[in-house]
Amino acid sequence: MARWGKARAGAVGVVLALAVWFGVVSFGIDGRVAHAAPTEIVIGAVYPLTGPGAQVGLDAKMALETAAEVINGSYDLPVPLGKGGGLPHLGGAKIRLVFADHQSDPQKGRAEAERLITQEKVTALIGSYQSSVAATISQVADRYGVPYIAADNSSPSLNRNGLKWFFRPSAHDEMFTIAMFQFFKDMQGKTGKPVPSVSLVHEDTLFGTDSGNAQHKTADAAGIKVVADVKYRANSPSLTSEVQQLKAADGAVLMPSSYTSDAILLVKTMADLGYKPKAIVAQAAGFQEQAFFDAVGPAAEGIISRGSFSADLAPHRPAIKPVNELFRKKAGKDMNDNTAREFMALLVVGDAIDRAGSADLEKVREALVATDIPGEMTIMPWKRIKFDETGQNLDATPVLLQYVGGGWHTIWPFDLATQPPIWSVGQ
Amino acid sequence: MTAETLAQVVVSGLLTGMIYALIAAGLSLIFGLMDVVNFAHGEFLMTAMYATFVLYITLSIDPLFLLPMVAVFLFAIGVVVYRVLIVRALSVKVNSGMVQIFATFGLGIFLRGIAQFVFSPDFKSLRGTMLSDKTVSVLGVFMPLPQLAASLVCVVAFIGLWLLTTKTHFGRALEATREDSEAVALIGVDRHFIFAMGWGIGAATVGVAGVMLSTFYYISPGVGVTFALIAYVVVALGGFGSLPGALVAGLAIGLVEALTTLLIPPSLKQVGVFGLYLLVLFVRPRGLFGNL
Repeated sequence: MARWGKARAGAVGVVLALAVWFGVVSFGIDGRVAHAAPTEIVIGAVYPLTGPGAQVGLDAKMALETAAEVINGSYDLPVPLGKGGGLPHLGGAKIRLVFADHQSDPQKGRAEAERLITQEKVTALIGSYQSSVAATISQVADRYGVPYIAADNSSPSLNRNGLKWFFRPSAHDEMFTIAMFQFFKDMQGKTGKPVPSVSLVHEDTLFGTDSGNAQHKTADAAGIKVVADVKYRANSPSLTSEVQQLKAADGAVLMPSSYTSDAILLVKTMADLGYKPKAIVAQAAGFQEQAFFDAVGPAAEGIISRGSFSADLAPHRPAIKPVNELFRKKAGKDMNDNTAREFMALLVVGDAIDRAGSADLEKVREALVATDIPGEMTIMPWKRIKFDETGQNLDATPVLLQYVGGGWHTIWPFDLATQPPIWSVGQ
Repeated sequence: MTAETLAQVVVSGLLTGMIYALIAAGLSLIFGLMDVVNFAHGEFLMTAMYATFVLYITLSIDPLFLLPMVAVFLFAIGVVVYRVLIVRALSVKVNSGMVQIFATFGLGIFLRGIAQFVFSPDFKSLRGTMLSDKTVSVLGVFMPLPQLAASLVCVVAFIGLWLLTTKTHFGRALEATREDSEAVALIGVDRHFIFAMGWGIGAATVGVAGVMLSTFYYISPGVGVTFALIAYVVVALGGFGSLPGALVAGLAIGLVEALTTLLIPPSLKQVGVFGLYLLVLFVRPRGLFGNL
């Protein structure tokens, strides 16, 4: 034994210790090989925390943290898992959120999603605001067999790629667009005047492109003339030429699909060039952000936008007020279309994990497929949350809102409307 | 496409081009002077815009009158950056070109991070200034007042810069240092002083552009990135170190960018800009007015 020398004995000792340590640790930290019920469930969230979409990403973080508080705390709210105290079927396991920054870049989104899955060992991913980034994240999630909840991505192509692990509780832009044109039809029924023409203007990433296509298709089907279809480069320093083309085409209704920076520039340039269409019906996104209203002021009056959420629907949805209060405490502002959807996304996936009774990914997926949450248990105007075979919730009833007097008011469907629309098209 | 549309697009393109020209002027000055590309140039622009925002909010003075203050502030920043960062980057024994690129690139990222930390990434706007939201129509062509004022200030700034670099002793020293920075010591010119002044003036110039830009454009940590990219193209097109080059190239780029949207889908408008740049590279690599 003495021949071995201290160094060798020490080396063997270290190797043995490491082997024991790895063995112990591999049983402990791999929550997915759940030998015992986990005490916490890790959910990953991929959002833009720097770069052009950063404010939306930071708001998303606060919305998700609010939802985690509702699940883990003891607020007793009329939403799934609203009683608090963690996940009941997992012995009160708490939700822990891990955030990653995709910087509005699809490739970085892919890398971050992969990191969250392989290193943080998340049970599910939530994301991601920009549809272009959701495209790559959802592919990664599918490859690894981890559920991806598209909280606020609205491109209709996302659930049409044959993905098994993609789930979207909220509506997509085709559903929103159909709602817009149904609104035009309903207004024609009310005023007797049809919408003679529309102008489309949209940014050039997945969101804008798909939205523009959906709008063009739906307009053609409705027999409404598309007099302009301007696809512009996102984050341009100047949109004067684009607006000049819209002005020259002079469509009765302008239908923009823009993120915040472009929405600001678009509306400001329209004011600069003296261009005022009869109505603006926007595909939300930038048009729902506070920064937009702060920047354009009175020019925003009368803008109509599609939405998934409206605070004035509180009489129909008892959870809206208390949830908004919680969010306000955290973020210093009211919930909006994006933050409401992000809040719901965590509740949906938490509810599914709870029903699955484990963090086993296949079981969670089955639970998500079986999701059936009535609309009254949400803060959204949706009929219910039930996913079809492509992972899309077809009952995510959209609403249309109009910005009047410094606030959003629901104007459609008429049975949910809180005030009549201000509409002068065709008159 | 009507004559009215064409006229509007041309005028708007020229107005935008003036802004591009002024942003590029500072970059051109620095590069022409010492062969250093300032990759934080866009962030200087951003800093000027945030400085204008803060001063406007706290002092309630119109941005037009804040011009001198912000210009001086940016001048100081330019000098400090030179003294603290660039001097060190250039005195490196090997690969000083690479070091200088990464140093300024890193500075840019750092400034963006600070801006997001201090101001949040939310878009900020100056509301209620003297000229904001006002527009004037001449023969059916609309010219927003903030952009008009910006163009006027740009012209004045260019004249000022041109006078400074051609008619003053300092300007001659600048030119001499540009031609041979080692030899000027022989005639009593301290090149470090000249370089520092060059950085200061370059930063002050883009500071002026930033103040005028903030009257009609949104402010965010990433606002400099888009304009800086165009500025590099303007400098390369106009010729490194040439002020008239920056002016002509800026106007050309603004015009080409605007007109391209009439010919091809607007989402491809940068194709026109970079296509023009490639053309100049093939035909006249030193740029229109450059003498490298």
